[in-house]
Amino acid sequence: MSPAGSGASDPTPWSEAEFEARLRRVGEERYHHRHPFNRRMHEGTLTREEIRSWVRNRYYYQTRIPIKDGLILAKSSDPAFRRTWMRRIQDHDGAKPGEGGLELWLSLGEAVGLDREAVADASGVLPGVRAACDDYVAFVESHDLLESVASSLTELFAPNLMQGRIAAFEAHYPWVETSGLDYFRSRVRQASDDSTHGLAFVLANARTRSDQERCVAALERKCEILWRLLDAVEEAHAPPRISRHAQLRENVGETMVVLPERAVEVNESGREILALCDGKRSSAQIAAAVARRHPEASGVEADVHDFLDRMTALGVIVRGSGA
Amino acid sequence: MSAPRPYNLVAELTYRCPLRCAYCSNPLDYREVRDGLDAEAWGRVLHQAADLGVVHVGLTGGEPTLHPGLEAIVAAAREVGIYAHLVTAGTTLDAEGLAALKRAGLRSVQLSLQDSVASSGDEIAGVPAFDAKLRFARQVRSEGLALVLNFVVHRRNIARVKPMIELAWRLDAERIEIANVQYHGWAERNRAALLPSEEQVRHAAEVVSGARSIRRRPEVVFVLADYLADRPKPCMGGWGRRTLVVAPDGVVLPCHEARSLPGLEFWSADERPLAECWSDAPGMNAYRGEAWMRDPCRTCPERGRDFGGCRCQAFRLTGEAAEADPACALAPGHARVRDARGAADLPAPELVLRGGDPRASRER
Repeated sequence: MSPAGSGASDPTPWSEAEFEARLRRVGEERYHHRHPFNRRMHEGTLTREEIRSWVRNRYYYQTRIPIKDGLILAKSSDPAFRRTWMRRIQDHDGAKPGEGGLELWLSLGEAVGLDREAVADASGVLPGVRAACDDYVAFVESHDLLESVASSLTELFAPNLMQGRIAAFEAHYPWVETSGLDYFRSRVRQASDDSTHGLAFVLANARTRSDQERCVAALERKCEILWRLLDAVEEAHAPPRISRHAQLRENVGETMVVLPERAVEVNESGREILALCDGKRSSAQIAAAVARRHPEASGVEADVHDFLDRMTALGVIVRGSGA
Repeated sequence: MSAPRPYNLVAELTYRCPLRCAYCSNPLDYREVRDGLDAEAWGRVLHQAADLGVVHVGLTGGEPTLHPGLEAIVAAAREVGIYAHLVTAGTTLDAEGLAALKRAGLRSVQLSLQDSVASSGDEIAGVPAFDAKLRFARQVRSEGLALVLNFVVHRRNIARVKPMIELAWRLDAERIEIANVQYHGWAERNRAALLPSEEQVRHAAEVVSGARSIRRRPEVVFVLADYLADRPKPCMGGWGRRTLVVAPDGVVLPCHEARSLPGLEFWSADERPLAECWSDAPGMNAYRGEAWMRDPCRTCPERGRDFGGCRCQAFRLTGEAAEADPACALAPGHARVRDARGAADLPAPELVLRGGDPRASRER
C-alpha cells in the first residue's frame, strides 16, 4: 500500500467535484445493480428457489457488516467520527434483542419461506459467498481508515437500488409478504445518511492524488466483493445439465437414468425436461419452453422447477463446473 | 409365476479379500465357494442380464479387483450398455490399474472406509489399509469417476460420523453412505461387540440430518440396522424382484446370503441360461410375491412396502425362513431383537476378525 503522504511526483489532486464524480462512476460501472442476477431479480424472473438462496446467502454478508464497522471504529481517534459511525452498528444490531437490520433480514428470510434458525446459523452459506464476505472483513482489517471508509461508499448507490427492489418485489414476487421488505425500506434512509457522512469524510481526508486513487481502488474492490457474492449465488443456480456420472437410457416406452447404485425411472414429461438440460438454458427458460409446449396444462412451470429440484438432489442434474 | 424384471446385477466376482473386517457380510464358509466364472463366462452373464432388463452392475466380492478378468468384465458391461460400478476396498489397485478400468468403461467406484481415522479403521479391517484407501479415493476422482464412500458404522466408531462426512466432502464424494452394520455373516458372530446403543444411533442420525442441512449434495444416505428400526427393511427390494445376485461360482441368488437357507435349490448361470435361473429356479420362487407369507405379514398393509423383510434374518433368529422378520415390532419373534439391543449397553466382547485368507493375493 502506498503511504498517504504527498511525494514530489504526486500529480495534482482532483478537484473535490472530480473526485466525487470518479467515485460515483465506480458505482455506475461496477456496483452489483448491473449484475445479471440482480437484474433478473428486479425483472421478476428469479425462481422462488433463487430468491431464497439469495436471501439465505446474503445474510452472511449482513452479519459481517457490524464486524467490519467495529474494525473501522477502532481505526479512528476522533470521538465525533466514532459517535456517528457507531450508529451503523446500532442500525444492524438494534438497541435491544429483536430489533435492527439483522433482525429485519431474518424476517425477510421468513417472508420468503426460510427457516429462521437455518438462516441465522449461516450453515448453508455457499463457499464462494463466505469467501467474498470474509475477504471484505480482511480488507478492512488490513487497510487504513481512509480506504476502509471509502470501501463503505457503496452505500451511495444503495438507496436507489433499495427503492427499485421494493417495487420489484411488490410487483413480481407477490408470494413474499410485504412486511418482509422492511429491511429494504429501512436502508433507504440509513444508507443515505451513512453515505453522506462517509462521503464527506473521504472528500475531506483524501488530500493527495494518491489518497484519492486509493479511495477509488478501495471502492472498486468493494464492488468486486458484492459482485462475487452474486456470482456464487448465480453459479449455484446455473443452467442445469445432465451429470457426467449419469447414464441416460431410452428404450421403447421407458426412460431411465442410471447413477452409481441407483436407477431412476423418468416419465414422458421428465424425459422432455431432461432433453432441455443442455447446460445453456436456465431453469426458467426450460420451464417456459415446456409450458409453451403444453398451453393446455396449468402449473407447468412450477412442476418443471420441482422436477429439476428433485433431479438435482439425486445428482442427475448438476450446474456449473461440477460433475 | 412370471418373474419381475431385475434392474440391478450384483456380480460377486470372488470372495477372496485382503481385508478381514469383523462385520464382513460374506458367508462364514466363504472359502467353500470357488471362483467358477472366468471373464468370458461373466461376459455371457452380462449379455443375458441386459436382455432381462438389467441396467446397473455392482462388481463386488470379496475384493473384485482380485479377479484376473475384471477389465474384460467391465468392457462387457459397457458393450451391452450396463452401468459398471466397482465396489472395492481400494487397497489392491494402483493408478494404472484404475486408469485401465476407466478406459474399459467403468463409471463409478464405491470405496468402503472403516473410519475417519487410521488407527481404529485399521483395527476393524484387521490390516493397515486406511492411508492406501485415501490415496485410492483421490485417484478415483482424478480419473473423473464418481466416488461413493461407504462408512460402515458400529458402536466403536459411530461417534465419528461427523468427521466421516467431512472427510467425504474433502474427497469430493458423489454419494456418502453411513451404513450401520447389518448383522449377517461375520457381523452376526460379532453382534455383541458391534451393536451400538439406541442413544448412539439417535445422535448419529442427528449429525447426518445436520450435515444434509449444510450441503444438499452429495447425498448422505443413512442406513439404519434392522435391529434398530421398528419395521424391517425391504430386503433387496423384495426377494427375486429387483436385484439378482450371481455368486463367484455362478449360482444365481436373490441375495448373497440366501444359500445359507436350508432346502432351497438355486441354479448356476454357468449351466443354464440366466433367465431360467432367475425366473424358474425353485429357490428363486420360494419367497417371491406374497403367497409364502404367514401372519402377521399375510394381511399386513405394509407388506407391499417391506415385502416381509429379510428371510435370512427370520431363519437365523426363529429357525423358520417364512416367519415374519423379527426386526418388525409386529413379529412374534421380535423379543429376540429387543434382547440384542439391550446387549448394546453391556461391555463389548473381543472382535472375531474374518478368517485370514491365504488366497487373497493379486493374480494378474
